[in-house]
Amino acid sequence: MIAGPTLLLSLLVVAAAALYFLRRIEALAALLAASLAALLAVGLWRLPLAVPVRIAGRSVWLGQPLAWADLSLQITPAGQALLVFLLGAGAVTFILAWRTFQGRTFYPLGLVLLALWAMVALLQPLTAAPFAVVLAAIVAVFLIQAGQPGDTRGAWRQLLFPTLAVPLFLVAAWYIDQGPLNPDDQTPYRIAGWLLIAGFILLIQPAPLHVAMPAVAGKAPLVVAVFLWIGQQSTVLFLLQRFLVTYPWLGSAVDSARWLLWAGIFTALVGGGLAATQERLGRFVGYAALYDYGVLIVAMGLRGTAGLPTAIWLLVTRTLALLTLATGAAMVRHHLEGDRLDEIAGAVSRLPWAVTALIMGGFALAGMPLTAQFASRWALLQLVAEIDTRWALLLVLGAAGVLVGAVRAGRSCFGKLSGSPVAREPASLAFLAMLLVTASVLLGLFPQLLTGPVAAVILPLSTLGP
Amino acid sequence: MSLVDLIRQFSILIGLPAAVMACAAAAVIVIARDWRLVLFAYAALSTMLALLLSQVIPTEWALLHVIVGGLVAVMLYLSARQTRWAALRRGDSALSLSSGLSRAARWPQVASLSSFRLLAVALVTVAYLALRDDVRLPVIQPLLRDTVFWLGLVGVLGLALHEEPLHAGLSLLTVLGGFQLLLFSLTQQRMLVGITEGGQLLLGLAISYLVLSRGLAETWPASGPGVSRWQA
Repeated sequence: MIAGPTLLLSLLVVAAAALYFLRRIEALAALLAASLAALLAVGLWRLPLAVPVRIAGRSVWLGQPLAWADLSLQITPAGQALLVFLLGAGAVTFILAWRTFQGRTFYPLGLVLLALWAMVALLQPLTAAPFAVVLAAIVAVFLIQAGQPGDTRGAWRQLLFPTLAVPLFLVAAWYIDQGPLNPDDQTPYRIAGWLLIAGFILLIQPAPLHVAMPAVAGKAPLVVAVFLWIGQQSTVLFLLQRFLVTYPWLGSAVDSARWLLWAGIFTALVGGGLAATQERLGRFVGYAALYDYGVLIVAMGLRGTAGLPTAIWLLVTRTLALLTLATGAAMVRHHLEGDRLDEIAGAVSRLPWAVTALIMGGFALAGMPLTAQFASRWALLQLVAEIDTRWALLLVLGAAGVLVGAVRAGRSCFGKLSGSPVAREPASLAFLAMLLVTASVLLGLFPQLLTGPVAAVILPLSTLGP
Repeated sequence: MSLVDLIRQFSILIGLPAAVMACAAAAVIVIARDWRLVLFAYAALSTMLALLLSQVIPTEWALLHVIVGGLVAVMLYLSARQTRWAALRRGDSALSLSSGLSRAARWPQVASLSSFRLLAVALVTVAYLALRDDVRLPVIQPLLRDTVFWLGLVGVLGLALHEEPLHAGLSLLTVLGGFQLLLFSLTQQRMLVGITEGGQLLLGLAISYLVLSRGLAETWPASGPGVSRWQA
């Protein structure tokens, strides 16, 4: 009997090793990586966890734990939902990366990252899971630098904070173990609670610890950067949810909901404010994504009956918005060989669909009507306004900053071409950009399309066990 | 002579001398600019930490820390050397191709900011002396507690003062070294030793790569953001 985690992780790692040797045949590497990720996503979505099934003549039990010493990996219903999401997002990103020239090592290393994020979702005990986050950050260093000399700030900053978080989790684990030895004394739980919250601040990296995001966006290929944010942020927030459900005393030891609300609103405000003033496309993408991340943290802070579905809804729509924005910005940056807003004039005449994706992605991150994010943002604003209207206004203020940044970036693409001749965008890329924009508009018009998937995830997430 | 016998030869150092030398090595990592001196200090710090760790975990496990520290130091050394040879190949005027590294390149570098960093470490020392009795860490000997506190303080100071990967990376490894002293005083698990040391090795690999990337950027023309492709 093959355990689910064994099959999943070994397939990803073996494929990554094979793709490393095939990376020079980029089209093949991209298609293989995307096919594998899509196949695994569909398999995890369709196959049952509770009973063994036969795959290629072998018996596979997806829900069977894989144990080694004190560590174990098990696919739970909630973990299954996250894995389907990550693998699906990975499959789309591999195709986009191929057409937007993001670097050949992205395909093997992207699969390794998916395996490591899967480990975060499946690993027990929970306090060991941040190790996998750090391993993912180490792999991400090589993706961000992409084999090129230059500014190392982005790679370094995204590695630093998770690494500092791990000690806090391990010491917290010791305190948690001490708790049952003296049930009348709550001190170990209180100390563990503070250590865990401090660890999560370092893992989540809200403002002012957000410094990695704009630096990564400034240096790394943009589709790769967005892939890193989607994967890392969703797994870390999922880990937080696992902790909050597994250790109910954590909510009482520290007022985590209020802390998340404040951190999220401050992050959104900083992201929105700075997105409006950027002179470079990459950094605009970084700050717009930071605003959106702040909004997601706010949704996590609401929790409860309405907060969690909204957070899941936002997670899905933000993925589409971020990929749309990154695809457009990456193509403009690649074809015009520049990143400054004054270097991209005339882009719209040669790259009309890339510019459309750039503008629509920016609008989506601002939560404008007719974009994928509109309905989910509206729902969130209503929830936040019920608690405090001023917080909702602050979020709207941040959105206005992203909107201003998107308008500035879009306006810079008009006018006359100032530099050397620029090639027209390839038809395949125009098609992909068109597809992303259409999907965004469709979800903006018919947000109920996501009701089913979101509803399917809510119950396992709210009751997930250790 | 086995490795365990070898470390027993240093038993006279175990205790206060090892703690003092570890603390001094950590301070050198933050203050000094010259990469050779910094790497030497890191190697010394790893050795002293292994001696201190041998008080709380079996000697064989503690030895792993020396091995990992040595490997990280070697990786960083190779990265730094490769950066210098890249500069030579590109005809850096300060270096001479015919005679290998010139006298100027061999001479340790001292920056004017070193005195500022020295002052910062001095201020941290004052804070350390003022606060060290108030620090309460569970189940840990006072000597190890003082060492953990110092390594944490100086490591975080190094992270705040440096952004280039060599010094910042070694400062991070200093913080992690202090944490290992605390963690293994609390719990002695073979698997945890393996995982933390393995993690440090991978971290060293990533830091070495960043050192190389940053170093080469100073000798090669800068590449545009996100437009360049992996050429390996």
